[in-house]
Amino acid sequence: MFAPQQVTDSGRRACSPAWKGVALLLVALMMWVPALASANDLESEINRLKADVADLASELYALEEAILHPADTQVAVFLTLATKDALQLDSVELFIDETPVSSHLYTDLERQSLQQGGVQQIFLGNLPLGDHHLKAVLTARTDNDRYVRREASHRFRKEPGESRIQMTLDARAPDFEPRVAFREWK
Amino acid sequence: MATEYQHRFRSGGRGMLCLGASVFLLLGSIGQLHATPRSEADLATRLAQFALASGQPEKALARIGRVESETSSWVKAQALVATGQTAAAHELLKRQLNGRNHRGDAALLLARIAQREGDSLRAREHFEAAARLGFGETRQRALYQLAAMELAAGKPDRAGQRLAEMDSGYWAALGYMNLAASYSEIDRNAARPLVALRVALAMAEKDAKGDRSVALRNRLLVRAGFLSYQQEEYEKAIGFLEKVPLDSYHTPRALYLHGLALAARDNHRAAMQSWHRAKKFPLAHPGVEDAWLGMGRGYDLAGYLGQAGEAYLAANASYESERVTLRKLAARIREEGAWKALIVDAREADTQWFLADNRTLTQPRMAYLLRFMESAEAQQAVAQVADLVALETGLAERERNLRVFRGSLADRLSTPVGPAMASGKELGEKSAQLRARLEALENQGADPAQLALTARTLGDIEDALATLESRVGQRNARLRQLKSRLDGMLGGMESLRRRAGELRQQAEAALDERVLAYVEAQDKRMVYALDKSEQQIAHLYEYLALESLQRGSQ
Repeated sequence: MFAPQQVTDSGRRACSPAWKGVALLLVALMMWVPALASANDLESEINRLKADVADLASELYALEEAILHPADTQVAVFLTLATKDALQLDSVELFIDETPVSSHLYTDLERQSLQQGGVQQIFLGNLPLGDHHLKAVLTARTDNDRYVRREASHRFRKEPGESRIQMTLDARAPDFEPRVAFREWK
Repeated sequence: MATEYQHRFRSGGRGMLCLGASVFLLLGSIGQLHATPRSEADLATRLAQFALASGQPEKALARIGRVESETSSWVKAQALVATGQTAAAHELLKRQLNGRNHRGDAALLLARIAQREGDSLRAREHFEAAARLGFGETRQRALYQLAAMELAAGKPDRAGQRLAEMDSGYWAALGYMNLAASYSEIDRNAARPLVALRVALAMAEKDAKGDRSVALRNRLLVRAGFLSYQQEEYEKAIGFLEKVPLDSYHTPRALYLHGLALAARDNHRAAMQSWHRAKKFPLAHPGVEDAWLGMGRGYDLAGYLGQAGEAYLAANASYESERVTLRKLAARIREEGAWKALIVDAREADTQWFLADNRTLTQPRMAYLLRFMESAEAQQAVAQVADLVALETGLAERERNLRVFRGSLADRLSTPVGPAMASGKELGEKSAQLRARLEALENQGADPAQLALTARTLGDIEDALATLESRVGQRNARLRQLKSRLDGMLGGMESLRRRAGELRQQAEAALDERVLAYVEAQDKRMVYALDKSEQQIAHLYEYLALESLQRGSQ
């Protein structure tokens, strides 16, 4: 009488740990998958938000330029390098009519970008029509391992419409003396 | 020094731009740059390039706008990836892959996107392409990743072949360090891992970037010291560990291992000196809790049993006190959140300048933060919160600015134009008088060259005054148009800020959970250390009791 029952029981005993294992695995999977999904959801939601913010930022950027810097009085100063490795730029300060208007300390990445042809808009502002005086103070390390501080100045005339001034830094062998050239774009 | 000359942009088609790009590349290759942009599109691209390097990808995207060139497309793709728009970046990067420039860089970026998305097959394909097409650091990074993939697949020999293709430097050194770790898991003997570490040390020497190469070298030295100690090659271990500087992040572990190696050579006094130094560091650093125990053991082996007991009791007290610190930290995290309690507060420099250099090594909270940040998942969790906090702050600031602009536009709209027109008339009369004076001076024989600049400025003023009426007529329409654009933007900004706030809360909750689990694990580590010190005290007392019994029976 007991034999078949025992067989059935032992069969149950043999199966039950496996089923239990499968069930536990399923439960674990059910718990793990939503956790993973929610982590991915958060990541993709953050990416969507970043994209929306980037869109709005470009729109805002154009609007700010329209409101803050009307084309008629606008003056922009751009900085470029003429030689790739001759100058490790540390900082640049700009003065217009003896008033400090902009200063920048360079990171490695920014220096690298300038060395690869990047252009920095170092100043954007408004000036009345007429004559003005632009002064740049730069500190840099030259290729012959000298730490230098140099001043350069440029007189320009603000005319109606956008005024754009390019400031090019250069230092050539053998003395690696930094030179600043100004050029006005029309 | 001041030179002034005029320059006009040359107008040119796409072909011109391509020719220009080739000339630019040629000049770039011999160290000369084309300083002046060749067109508006070129200027926009180069401005975007700098904006991207300054960490302003949104600005870079705004600069690029609809400019189409290979370089601009590369800059745009990078900016899109930086702003989380990987789907849009994907297309551009694929196009770049079939272009002429930045092919290796594009492949590397595509590989990293695929890796982030969990598609290891595609990631491998792109890393292979980056290694084939890229130069310099791009190629080295791609080869490093390929070697890491071989290691993850349990094929250290194939990883070794990949590493053999690399140039000496940081990435090769990292690769060999990983190879050593992989060999350590397989081999019982430390010969192969040690050889790999020696190669890594030699490779790290060639890295030009000072800070990262020093950090990596210290890490390699500690590993080599540990492996040598395990192999019972104590002299060698001491040699490696003594090269680790005392102000490095790896110093506490190095000091502990140095003490162990010295103790193994029965030089307990010197070992205790190393452990005494290691004890000065927070218990968060690995090896420090064992250094506390080591002091007791050192006294014990040297035969100073009373001092050994005191040292064990001191270790006990320090572990207890660390548990209190950890409990307080956990309470602060629950109260203020991990972002504020662990990360934001760590930035506050309330230390005197002469101590500032040692902050990271001597402050317990900073030490726990750094240890926590060693895992990639922790870095990702913190980066998510940091990104969202920056977005929210940026949006709030922009919203404030927009409200100011809106107020100023409203003021300008409500300002009547009548008085301005009247003063315009006055200015007109003044300019007419000035013109008359100028002409009179010229008639009196004044040098025209001397007056040329003044005449030009006066001409500009006259032109501006002549168009004043028409410009004033258009003013209100333009201001209204700007105001309606501003209103629309403000609405968008508010909703984005709300979304950013909600997401930040979710990300902060996930970070809290992770940090609390970490703090709990640290507490368990302290409990374990506490158990060990209590056992040592028990053994010591037991020994002393037996000794006194023996002495009594004699």
